[in-house]
Amino acid sequence: METSVIAAVNVSILAMSVIFIMLTLLIFTIQFLVKLIPYKEPPAAPAKQARASTTGTTGHDDEVAAITATLAAHLGKRPDEFRIVNIQSH
Amino acid sequence: MEFSFALSASKIIHSTGFSDLAGGDIIMMGVACTLIYLAIWKKFEPLLLLPMGFGCLLANLPLSMMASTDSGGLLNFFYQGVTHEILPPIIFMGVGAMTDFGPLLANPTTLLLGAAAQIGVYTTLVGAVFLGFNMKEAAAIGIIGGADGPTSIFIASKLAPHLLAPIAVAAYSYMSLVPLIQPPIMNFFTTEEERKIKMAQLKPISQTVKILFPVVVTIVCCLLLPGVTPLLGMFMLGNLFRESGVTQRLHETTETHLINIMTIMLALSVGSSMTADSFLRFETIKIIVLGLLAFGFATAGGLIFGKLMCKFSGGKINPLIGSAGVSAVPMAARVTQKVGQDADSSNFLLMHAMGPNVAGVIGSAVAAGVFVSLFGDVGTAVDTHAALAPVIGDPEPGAQALATVVDAIKQ
Repeated sequence: METSVIAAVNVSILAMSVIFIMLTLLIFTIQFLVKLIPYKEPPAAPAKQARASTTGTTGHDDEVAAITATLAAHLGKRPDEFRIVNIQSH
Repeated sequence: MEFSFALSASKIIHSTGFSDLAGGDIIMMGVACTLIYLAIWKKFEPLLLLPMGFGCLLANLPLSMMASTDSGGLLNFFYQGVTHEILPPIIFMGVGAMTDFGPLLANPTTLLLGAAAQIGVYTTLVGAVFLGFNMKEAAAIGIIGGADGPTSIFIASKLAPHLLAPIAVAAYSYMSLVPLIQPPIMNFFTTEEERKIKMAQLKPISQTVKILFPVVVTIVCCLLLPGVTPLLGMFMLGNLFRESGVTQRLHETTETHLINIMTIMLALSVGSSMTADSFLRFETIKIIVLGLLAFGFATAGGLIFGKLMCKFSGGKINPLIGSAGVSAVPMAARVTQKVGQDADSSNFLLMHAMGPNVAGVIGSAVAAGVFVSLFGDVGTAVDTHAALAPVIGDPEPGAQALATVVDAIKQ
């Protein structure tokens, strides 16, 4: 029994070492990849303002719709029971 | 053939399941109903415990031929997917398709938390050997600490198939109990100030890196530990479907219908192995207790390493994310988020915890690979033809008949 437990402890130490070595290897690999291929901002989407000026909308339609739906779900009200009149961007 | 009323009635009575019902079957039906109850009314891993419980119920109905050991039975056929290590890797592919490695790639040092949490596997291994299990059985029990159902089933079917049922039940039961098991351990090992630490926002990662990562991990890990290839290889394939952007249909199928079908088959198969003979033993109680210890030690291991990282990073890492290193995606990360918000409602740790959480999946797969390297037969496969012979019979006459038909058509 004692021999088996000692063998199990040895296996555990060996296995934990292997796991740490492998995952450390992966850390370096990831860091290398991230350094090699840095993140680049995707090209900015064409401004909605142009469309807004032609259609006469405020350009916040999508945001207003999303916020209205979220608020309606949160407050337990119907979307037509309240109105968003102003959105301020910071 | 003579049919008298008494003889026919006697024959019908003796052909019912009641005639063969034993005490063990009744107890196992009770266990099955408990699993079904926990799944439906307590919402404990219902996607798994419900089919598993029903599989157990079917397997313990006498004369139903639905136990995993009933050659030619329906669930015996499903069980071949466990015996031949088919179902767990395919489920892993689905998990890979659902996994976003972004948080891990943005903060790769969290991989160490996934490694540290594997301490639960090895403390349980030692405990199991101490309780009288042999090394292979202890390894299969220890992997419960990885908090990864498919990995537990994969290793149990490879190293200790006779313990598959209790190991699978323990693994999935404790996974569903993560929200109850982890918070007291998390509160014990961390201070209020540590729990309030806010972590910096993760930086974005290039899509090319996300595509290369599964390929690189497969090459590096599977070369070092070939035994882990079925699990890790399929996991990374699923993730490549997701990130490549050119296999949308495969990605959608893998993360929805395929994983659902495989889950039904796997859970039914495991349930069908829960017969009185295999389950109602003293070993089962030991495994259930060891499984709980495994989860506890895994959580503690991740937290202690998280505290170390907190210290070395100058307080930039919240040690709570260490508890997510136990795999159990994404439940462990959600628990981290909840405990963090209990300390400070404006603290958002979910994305930070997802890093160690997916690292835990890789860590438990690597732990499984180490066990396969040490105790399994790396580089050999099960003789599928021979193993399926009891189920499908000798295929030789069928093949000969087919050849005759083909010849006749040719002529």
